[in-house]
Amino acid sequence: MTNILIALVLILLVATLVQVLRVSELLSELKKQDVNEVTDKDNAIQGKILLIVGTLFLGSVVWQFVNWIPLMLPPASSAHGAVIDSLMQFTMLLIIFVFFITQPILFWYGYKYNKNKKNPVAFFFPHNNKLEVIWTVVPTIVLTAVILYGLSAWDQITNADTSESQVIELYAKQFDWTARYAGEDNTLGYSNYKLVKGPNQLGVDLTDEFAQDDVVIKEVHLAVNKPVLLKMRSRDVIHSAFLPHFRVQMNCVPGMITQFAFTPTQTTAEMKIQEGEDFEFVLLCNKICGSAHYNMQMKFVVETEEEYAAWMASQKTVNNTLTKKQ
Amino acid sequence: MSTSKNNTSKQLLWVGMAGISMFFAGLTSAVIVRSAEHGWNSIDMPIWFWYSTFAIVASSILLIIAQYQVKRGNSPTIYVVGALALGLFFAYCQLMGWDQLTAMGMYFIGEGSNPASSFLYVITFAHLMHVIGGLIALLVTTIKAVQSKYTKENYLGIELTSIYWHYLDLLWVYLFVFLLYSVK
Amino acid sequence: MSDHHKETFISKYVFSLDHKMIAKQFLITGMLMGIIGMLMSIMFRLQLSNPGESFAVLEWFLGSKWAPGGILDPNMYLSLVTMHGTILVFWVLTAGLTGTFANFLIPLQIGARDMASGFMNMLSYWFFFVATIILLCSLFVETGPASAGWTIYPPLSALPQAIPGSGLGQDLWLVSIALFIVSSLLGGLNYIVTILNLRTKGMSMSRLPLTMWAILITAILGVLSFPVLLSAALLLIMDRSFGTSFYLSDIIIGGETLHNTGGSPVLFEHLFWFLGHPEVYIILLPSLGIVSEVMSINTRKPIFGYKAMVGAMLAIAFLSFIVWGHHMFITGMDPFLGSVFTFTTLLIAIPSAVKVFNYLATLWKGSIRFTPAMLFTIGFVSTFITGGLTGLILGDSALDINVHDTYFVVGHFHIVMGLSAIYGMFSGVYHWFPKMYGRMMNKQLGYLHFWVTFIAAYGVFFPMHFLGLAGLPRRYYTNSAFPMFDNLTDINTIITFFAIIGGLVQLVFVFNFFYSIFKGTKASTNPWEANTLEWTTPIERIHGNWPGEIPSVHRWPYDYSKPGADEDFIMQTEPLKEGETEH
Repeated sequence: MTNILIALVLILLVATLVQVLRVSELLSELKKQDVNEVTDKDNAIQGKILLIVGTLFLGSVVWQFVNWIPLMLPPASSAHGAVIDSLMQFTMLLIIFVFFITQPILFWYGYKYNKNKKNPVAFFFPHNNKLEVIWTVVPTIVLTAVILYGLSAWDQITNADTSESQVIELYAKQFDWTARYAGEDNTLGYSNYKLVKGPNQLGVDLTDEFAQDDVVIKEVHLAVNKPVLLKMRSRDVIHSAFLPHFRVQMNCVPGMITQFAFTPTQTTAEMKIQEGEDFEFVLLCNKICGSAHYNMQMKFVVETEEEYAAWMASQKTVNNTLTKKQ
Repeated sequence: MSTSKNNTSKQLLWVGMAGISMFFAGLTSAVIVRSAEHGWNSIDMPIWFWYSTFAIVASSILLIIAQYQVKRGNSPTIYVVGALALGLFFAYCQLMGWDQLTAMGMYFIGEGSNPASSFLYVITFAHLMHVIGGLIALLVTTIKAVQSKYTKENYLGIELTSIYWHYLDLLWVYLFVFLLYSVK
Repeated sequence: MSDHHKETFISKYVFSLDHKMIAKQFLITGMLMGIIGMLMSIMFRLQLSNPGESFAVLEWFLGSKWAPGGILDPNMYLSLVTMHGTILVFWVLTAGLTGTFANFLIPLQIGARDMASGFMNMLSYWFFFVATIILLCSLFVETGPASAGWTIYPPLSALPQAIPGSGLGQDLWLVSIALFIVSSLLGGLNYIVTILNLRTKGMSMSRLPLTMWAILITAILGVLSFPVLLSAALLLIMDRSFGTSFYLSDIIIGGETLHNTGGSPVLFEHLFWFLGHPEVYIILLPSLGIVSEVMSINTRKPIFGYKAMVGAMLAIAFLSFIVWGHHMFITGMDPFLGSVFTFTTLLIAIPSAVKVFNYLATLWKGSIRFTPAMLFTIGFVSTFITGGLTGLILGDSALDINVHDTYFVVGHFHIVMGLSAIYGMFSGVYHWFPKMYGRMMNKQLGYLHFWVTFIAAYGVFFPMHFLGLAGLPRRYYTNSAFPMFDNLTDINTIITFFAIIGGLVQLVFVFNFFYSIFKGTKASTNPWEANTLEWTTPIERIHGNWPGEIPSVHRWPYDYSKPGADEDFIMQTEPLKEGETEH
């Protein structure tokens, strides 16, 4: 029944629109005017609307910044994250600056130069090489600075010294994460997808000597200020390990091992004071991977070295966790 | 002789061939990337692919002669027929080449396949598909030549077929050398 | 040359060889697909801003399998997102935009009777039509339409066990795209060869309207990049249906260990984005061209810096081939490559900036006539600035780490494609409608369409940047699984609100379009007082465009308000006066 009513309403709306148009056309015919001719009056009105809407738009942008910046991610909780945040601030300020110069010019010119009695003729200005050079050279210089800054940050992040890093594997599958610590020897035991069987969901070669001290866990604990090297694998499709608070993201690709190095600089406890009791560091999946892509998460906890050592001591190695039913 | 129609037909062909080249560029890039990874086998290139190279090069030469003849007012028919025959022989050699691959235990898919063999089949198959288009063009050209439709003033059909056929020839030589190098 | 053959309904409207009819076929198909794509977005927006809430309309459209109890199924959500992207990127913004304006304008603006090959042109539309039917059929298959994103990365797109849409739905998608690519190539061949060969006397390359330059460059981009997508799709079809391992390796799915080894999903990403990046310029360039035309005509000034505008388009086109890796910064590719792509990507900002400044200089001291087309042109410049600026952040690899695949990206590409490029398309439709149908579109409805769209569209996509900076990933069925996103619900509600309004107002445009075809006020030959050749043809559309000889051209198209002239425009066909120099 509602469907029929909705259909009727739509038909009536269309019919009304048609009648309104017919009426306006007839009126213009009577007045001997072309209903669709753009008059000076139209130009003046549209110019004014452009200025008003433009101003409101820019105002709304300011409003959005003011209201929503507090909702943004807190400052990075990792060493390289601070580098990214600085670069982001620099680039944001740059683009905001350019935005708030070019958009007002656009709206202002639209308003000011609309065709009316005050402004009947345009100025024939086909080119000006000096201007072209200026607005090619200036963006080039600015962008060179942005590029250099960006590449230096990228190099810092991707060429990090990982000789001291704690190696942790992140194993992604539809639809959860498992972590595996490399243990005392800081070397992950050999793994192969063909070895996945029963409780050994990660396909670790349990006879490999490097695997003996590996720890498989569903919640990652990290010691603050201690470097970490995440190594990512996937069982089935491309996933992506996204740790927004640490400014870490790397795809997990079946058939490949990818990696990302970082150092956490704030403990969960510190963050809880800053952001509220409910705060947790979290790992999200950030590459479309199937129906539950939106709920593929794992908790990360950053704690002091002592707390970390205590936690680690109580974890079981793979021979316990990957051989028996959990 | 360049009338506007001649120009546009030829240009349409050239732009089309540019597009086809990009398709094969995509496939050969894929080979380059994949061959750098582990698990890339070497394959003894079947001798039939060598024969097909000679076939297509020879057929191109015949078409060049055909065009030369028609420009001088002579009949191109025998050369066009020769080119068609060699073209068909090329297709035959390709099929025999695949046969030889399976005899070597190299399959396209399933048991006995490996990335190198899969690519070999896909690329030669894709090329052959384009050759079929060329064979159809050659057939039309042959029929028209037999009917003496080509004159010294108007031999656009032979020109267009030749351009496409030479392209397929060069493309084959490029792909063949590339694959030879990639699977050695 | 006038046609003496008897025109049947079929030969005039269906299997037409006339470029003007083919253009309209592309336009109307594109518009209808656009409505479908837009409807899909409203559906998934409802889900996003009101997760868990029941919407009867969802069940009404999708049925009880995909929206049981009015709640969208997560797999169908991903299907909608995938099909929305596919339809809008390819069907509307590529075929609908280039297919319409290239076909319609090329012969008219260069002074030719028709395209180089009318037959190839007709084939181009019919391949497109068949591709459309197949894509639409995929909406009705039992396991659902393709759902691995419009970017269809394997293994997700290769394995039906990974997601239902990767079954028959994905097969049909791939077949459809292959036909679509053939259609694009057939069209592109024609556009290039026609522009290069069939220009009328006096129409040198430096007297070509910028729209023609834009379309020429777009067509070249298409010919060089679409075939690579075809090769990527071919290898994917092989992996899906023939058990090859081009992209697949080391996979356990649905409890089953697959036999594939040695494949690389990253290979697909490289091949896909080698097209994918030029594709977005294939979408943008025609709009850049259209907007240059409309702006010049409606400011009564030459477009500022014609040579620089052409040079900038060529630079953008060239650079577009070497930036594709910026879609792949965090795929695990070599960091050095990441540096290279950051460098080339940020370089593209330079010619883009030059174009924006040239547009502003064109407006300066103009005498602006606010037709609806002009309003959309101004909207184009505004959104191009906004979207282009956020590109600086995404193109910088270090910054991309935290915004890749978040709503920041969604905001960026919608503003440049879904706003800028579409505004260019709207601008073109309003502007050339009189030429297409001999009537004018209604002005007041045009104004209404523009203002509501402009406000609503910014209302939808600007806030998305904030969602992205808050870490919200894209392609998430709901944001309620992570407490960290709980404070973002207000923003989502605002976005959906504006999306519905923006979506509804497009119906005003559709109504205006179809109403005006039949009942619009009759147009004059040159209603906008423009210089280019298409405005010299009579209103009644005829095969061969000009009843007599094709006019010759004596000047460039931008002599507006030239000092010493009688009127504020001088058509290209006007010979130079004594003592007058050509620009």
